Order: sequence, then structure tokens, then C-alpha cells
Amino acid sequence: MIATWYAVVSFMLIIYVVLDGRNFGAGMLHWFVAKTPEERRQVIAAIGPLWSWHEVWLVGFGGTLVAIFPRLMASAFAGYYLALFLILWCLILRGVAIEVGGHINDRLWQTYWDFIFVFSNFLLAILFGAAAGNVTRGVPLDAQGNFSMAFFTDFGVRGHVGLLDWYTLSIAIFAAVMLAAHGATYLTLKTEGPVHGRSERLAKYLWIGCVPLLLLILVESRIVRPDLPGRAWTNPFWWLGLVVIVASTITLISGLTTRRELRAFVGSNFLIFGLLITGAAAIFPVMLQSTLAPENSLTAYAVASSESTLRVAMLWWPIGLALAVFYFVWISRRYAGKISLQRDTQGFY
Amino acid sequence: MNSVFNDPGFWHRLQFGFTIVYHYLFPQLTMGLAWFLVYWKWRALRTGDEKYNQAVRFWAKIFGLNFAVGVVTGIPMEFQFGTNWSDFSKYAGGVIGQTLAMEGMFAFFLESAFVGALIWGEKRLGPRGHFAAAIAVALGSWISGYFILVTNAFMQHPVGYQIEANGSLGISSFSAYLLNPWAFVQFAHNQLAAVVTGSFVVAAIGAFYALRGLHPVQARLYLRAGTLVGLIASLLVAFPTGDQQAKMVGNHQPITLSAMEGKFEGGKMASVALIGQPNVEAQRLDNPIEVPGALSFLAYGHFGSFVHGLNDFPKDQWPDNLELLYYSFHIMITLGTLFIVLMGLATLLNWRGKLESSRLLLWILMLAFPFPYIANTLGWMTAELGRQPWLIYGLFHTRDGYSKVVSNGDAIFTLIGFTGLYFVIGLLFLGLTGREIAKGPEERTTVVGDPREAVLV
Repeated sequence: MIATWYAVVSFMLIIYVVLDGRNFGAGMLHWFVAKTPEERRQVIAAIGPLWSWHEVWLVGFGGTLVAIFPRLMASAFAGYYLALFLILWCLILRGVAIEVGGHINDRLWQTYWDFIFVFSNFLLAILFGAAAGNVTRGVPLDAQGNFSMAFFTDFGVRGHVGLLDWYTLSIAIFAAVMLAAHGATYLTLKTEGPVHGRSERLAKYLWIGCVPLLLLILVESRIVRPDLPGRAWTNPFWWLGLVVIVASTITLISGLTTRRELRAFVGSNFLIFGLLITGAAAIFPVMLQSTLAPENSLTAYAVASSESTLRVAMLWWPIGLALAVFYFVWISRRYAGKISLQRDTQGFY
Repeated sequence: MNSVFNDPGFWHRLQFGFTIVYHYLFPQLTMGLAWFLVYWKWRALRTGDEKYNQAVRFWAKIFGLNFAVGVVTGIPMEFQFGTNWSDFSKYAGGVIGQTLAMEGMFAFFLESAFVGALIWGEKRLGPRGHFAAAIAVALGSWISGYFILVTNAFMQHPVGYQIEANGSLGISSFSAYLLNPWAFVQFAHNQLAAVVTGSFVVAAIGAFYALRGLHPVQARLYLRAGTLVGLIASLLVAFPTGDQQAKMVGNHQPITLSAMEGKFEGGKMASVALIGQPNVEAQRLDNPIEVPGALSFLAYGHFGSFVHGLNDFPKDQWPDNLELLYYSFHIMITLGTLFIVLMGLATLLNWRGKLESSRLLLWILMLAFPFPYIANTLGWMTAELGRQPWLIYGLFHTRDGYSKVVSNGDAIFTLIGFTGLYFVIGLLFLGLTGREIAKGPEERTTVVGDPREAVLV
């Protein structure tokens, strides 16, 4: 039951990253793929009507985390206090930038909000990446399961660590490059004209750039958490993730090389999905590792709600997911197709 | 005084209170407005009259701005359960987390998937599809309200829970938790209050256009709908829902009721103070004007019913900010009464066909729209201050709930950050809403450039 819930909660977070990741990516690349005001509105329109639908997956994840793993939520969120508020404020700025930028047709106004948009998306990608690095590396949990952490300490990965060190920074850089590649693949699919051309080129470079970075963080992860590989190989989900990674990489490469844009984008989604599955499977059952003493680490079994509470949640969660799938299908059909330069064909702006 | 500022609990409460009050300014309008959109869209479908579509188009833009600010200010609310109230989440997460997650999956998913379609999808979806999108968004916003009120109702009147082996709370009866009687009453009261806000805003913009002599057809539409719905909703907020809410408080939180009324000495034939200032030091109500027996009757159904005074309870169980609680409650009641009078008068004049020529009343209607926001806020302050010193009534103290690992400085820093950010968002929101109102309802949506769109028009 607890393992199932671990999978469910990870799934919701992964879906959030995959869905909103395209917006982070497109947001980071905003200035590089779009040069004129019209092109910039085109990029915003590609994100426009759906960003809140993507963002509410984070809300769904947060609520589920409170219900299922309350002690993890309590420990992690209080411990990451300032970092989490930075994320929240960036999410606020990002949403505001999307919404208000288009309301006034003035070049200075739009340039300003474009800057806020790019900046907040870049910071979000870095912060989420660093957060993932922190989960893998661990945090200075004490015997009561609490911690509080500075932004950085000595940039080392043992003992009293900070939010940023050489390991979490390299994960953050990898996350930013990968999400940018994801966003470029999305913009290739959703746009036409000059933005399309630039996105297509960038997507290739960025995906190629991911390869050495991924190898680097794999080696680093082995150094930081030597216990992980042994645990991962016994977890079937880790193997599932690996299969997804291989299949989606092939899909992505074939999509990119044959200019089948939908195929490339599907591959890109599943590649991120697969990478995060292997990550989530590798650390299971430890949800938060202690860098001070291994026995302080919080496992899924220690932080979960009671059996009866988990059973109750199993009543409604599948219904909620079924509805979400229904909306997803509806949205994909309704918002299918490219956005033109003159005016988007979806009635946005 | 110093002790309050050194108490981290104070800063955590202030931050949560500030962010939730600010956040709720936006959903209360969208929840109220959503049904106006559904109604006008339905009228457009039935009559084919273009003025209804025009109204929907205009109000959907106002709705969209409110929705966006509601989304971005709503996400911090959920996260603060973990960041600022981690000991509370640790204790009660298994219970309250259920409805927080359900709100996301059953309400937000629905709302956010269709809101884009409501605002920009009129042509693509066609009239029926657009009508369906309006219903989906309205349902989503009200379902979201219900789950939040179930969560709050649990904090006011915990039911359906059990204490687990590790001392935290779990669910013992899911149906009892979801069907908490407190949640029903509070939901009815709160949603109708949101409709009051919606109708005051609709009427205010109608009055503005009427005074300006702009968009006469639309102005009449907004005035008629706003004042009639405003009257009905204002009446229902007071009776039966407000009355039931007060009875609920009287039955389950008698100390809170005494504090709301500033009643220090208990007794039969308890009076309602229309005005008066609670004097906590002397333990009496200064300069009161009272209606004898009214409180006994309103709370328990008989003039002879015994109503407890605060002195019947140990002092450490009194709500910790008595004065603020008392004034919040009394100003809310006063405003609610004035709403009935104002909207009653407006509906009467409208019925006689004189509303649009009565400039004084139009002025009042135009300027009255902030007051339902104030009344809603005060109502929530009454509920939440009245719950003190408990976080979950009778089970868990507020002072035990905040995150002990978060330093005072961190909490103050983020509070200041929110203040600045929300100030800027407020300015943007008002500026952009003002622009939309100035632009007004357009005859038809203008299409620039794209030939494919032009064919559809």
C-alpha cells in the first residue's frame, strides 16, 4: 500500500514536471527563439491558455503529499523554507507575466514582462533541478526528522550541507538544459515561421548538450550516493524507467532527424518521464536522506499516514485521475495545431 | 508588546492570515460571477439575443483576470501548510490533506482545463460548447469551495477522525468527514456571500455605465441582474444561512459565541448588543444598546434559553483577540443588513422603472462594491479568530501548529516579500481591470489578420 502510494505521489510530481517543464523550457528560450514582438506573442500563445492547467498538477501533488506522507511534507517544506518561497514567488511572477503582458499593446510594457517571464522560468528550472539534487544527496536531518538549511555552506556534499553545492548545481544545470530542450521541442511542434526554425535548431543542440551532462551527473550521483545502484537494480520500476528511457530516446532521435515534430515531442515527454521514474525508483524507500546519520533518514514507511487513511484516499484518487485523463484528451484535441505568426488560431490574445 | 513580536507563532499567523485574506478577494468574485456567466450564456442560447453574448464576453475577461490572480495567490496557501504549519500538517495531514488533494483533482483540474475555453473559445466551441465551458468553470469553482470548507469545518468542528498509534490524526469515517454538518452550513453561507460580492460588482459596473451614459443596453442588463440577485443573495446570507451558522457556533463553540457578542456574564434572556465596546480589562461591554432576550432566541430558539458568558469558562480558553473578533462580527452583521436595504431599494426602483434615472442610488451602487469584500473578510475573521486558541477546535492548539525549525527572521522576511509582491499584483490587477471596464463590452470580438478566423465570424 505504501509503495503504491509512493508511486502515485511520484507520478503526480513527474507529470507536473513533464507538463510544466515545456513552459519552463519555452520560457527560458523565449528571447532566443523570438525576436520581434509578434514572435514573442506567438511563444506566449503557445503556452497561454494551458499554463494554469499544468500548474494545478503541482497543487494536486502538494495536497496528495500532505494526505499520504504528512511527516515528509512537514519536514521537507519547513526545512526548505526560503527555497520553497523563492519557487512560489517565481511561479507567481511567471503567471503574472503571461497574463498581464498581452493586455497592453505597448512595446516597452511587453519587453518588461518578457524579461520577468524569461527570468522566472530560468530560476524555476534551476530551483526545481537543485531540489531534485537535494532529494538525492540528502539534507541534514536530525534525530527528530527535522532540518533547516542555508542556501550554501562549503559546497560539499557531506554533513551540514547547503541547498547548493557542486552536486546539486550540476543537477540544476542539467535540469535547465533538458527542460530547455523539452521546451524547444514543444515550440517546434506548436509554431510556424521563424520561431519554428530557430526552435528546431536549438532543440537539436540542446538535446546533444544533455548527453555529456547526463553522464556527468550519473558519475557524480555514484560518488554522492554509492548505496543507490545496488538498491536500484532490485527495483522493477527502475528497469521500467530504463525501458522508457531507451524507447523514448529512439523516438526522440527519429522524430528530430526525420522532422516528425509530434513524434519528437512525445519522445521528449517520455524521456523526462523515464529519467524521473528511474530516479524515484532508485531512492525508494528513502524519501529524504540524512547527510548527518543514515538512521535519521525518512523512509516512505516511516512518514506515511495510517493504513485506514491510505485506504480512504484510494477511494477518490483513481476517480480524480480518470477525470484528469478525460480533460487531458479534451484539451489535446481542442488545442491541437500550430500557432501562426499573425494571430494564433486558438483565439488566444 | 515585545513578546508578541518575539513569538514566531504571531508571524506565522500573520503571514497565513494576510495571504489567505488577499487570496480570497479573487475567488469570491469568480465564484459569484461564474453563475452570472452561466445564466447569460443560457439566455443567449434560448433567445439568440446578442446582448447576452456580449455580456458574457465582457465579464469573461474580468473573470479571467480574477482567476489568474486567484491561481497564483492560491498555490502559496497549500504550500504554507508545510512551510509554516508543519507541526499541524504532521498532526492532521492525513485528514485535511485528503480534501486539499481532492480540491486539486476534482475542482482545479476541471476549472483550469476549461477556463481558457470560456475566455477565448467562443468561436471555436460554438454556443453550446461555450455554455458547457461556463458550467464546467462554475462547477469547478464551487466544488473547490466545498472542499476548502470541509477542511475548515474540520478545524472548527472535528468529526470522522481517529487518533492513530503515533498520536497523529487519521480518518475513521470518510463520509462523516466529508458531510460535516458544519461544512454544509458554512458552505451555504459562504457561497451566498460570494454571490453577494459578484452581484454588487455587476451592479456597480452597470451603475458606472449608466451614470456615464455608456453601453445603455448592457448597463440595464447588469443593473437588473445585479440588484435582483444581490437582494436575494443578501437575504439568504442573513437568513437562513447566517442564522444557522450562528446556531452552529452556539452549539459547538459556546465560548466563541459569548466572545462574538462581547458577553461576559451568562444568563437567561441574553441580549444582543447592537453597539457597544467590549472592555476586556473591566470585563464588560461599554456603552451598549441592547435588545433583551434576542441572543437567547437567535442562538437557542427561546427567549428564556441560557446563554453562557465568557466568565463561565477558564480564561485560557477565550479567543485571544476578543476585541477584533467582536468588531469583525458586528461590522459584518451591520454591513449585511445594509446590503439588504440597499439592494431592496434598488430592486424596488428598478421594478418601478426608475432605477436608471435615480442618480443618487446609481452613485451608491457604484461605490458600494468594496463592502461585500469587507463583509466576506470580516466573516472569515470571525470564524478564524473565534476558533482560537485552537487550531483544531478542542484538539490541537494554534501555538503547537507552526513550524518550529523556521526562524522568526525567515517568517518575517517572507511576510515582507509577500506584502511587496501582492502590492504590485494588486496595482496590476486594478489597472488592467480598470482598462477592461473603460474599454467596455465590445460589439463583437475584433479579428485581426488571420483569414481562417475571418471565415468563422
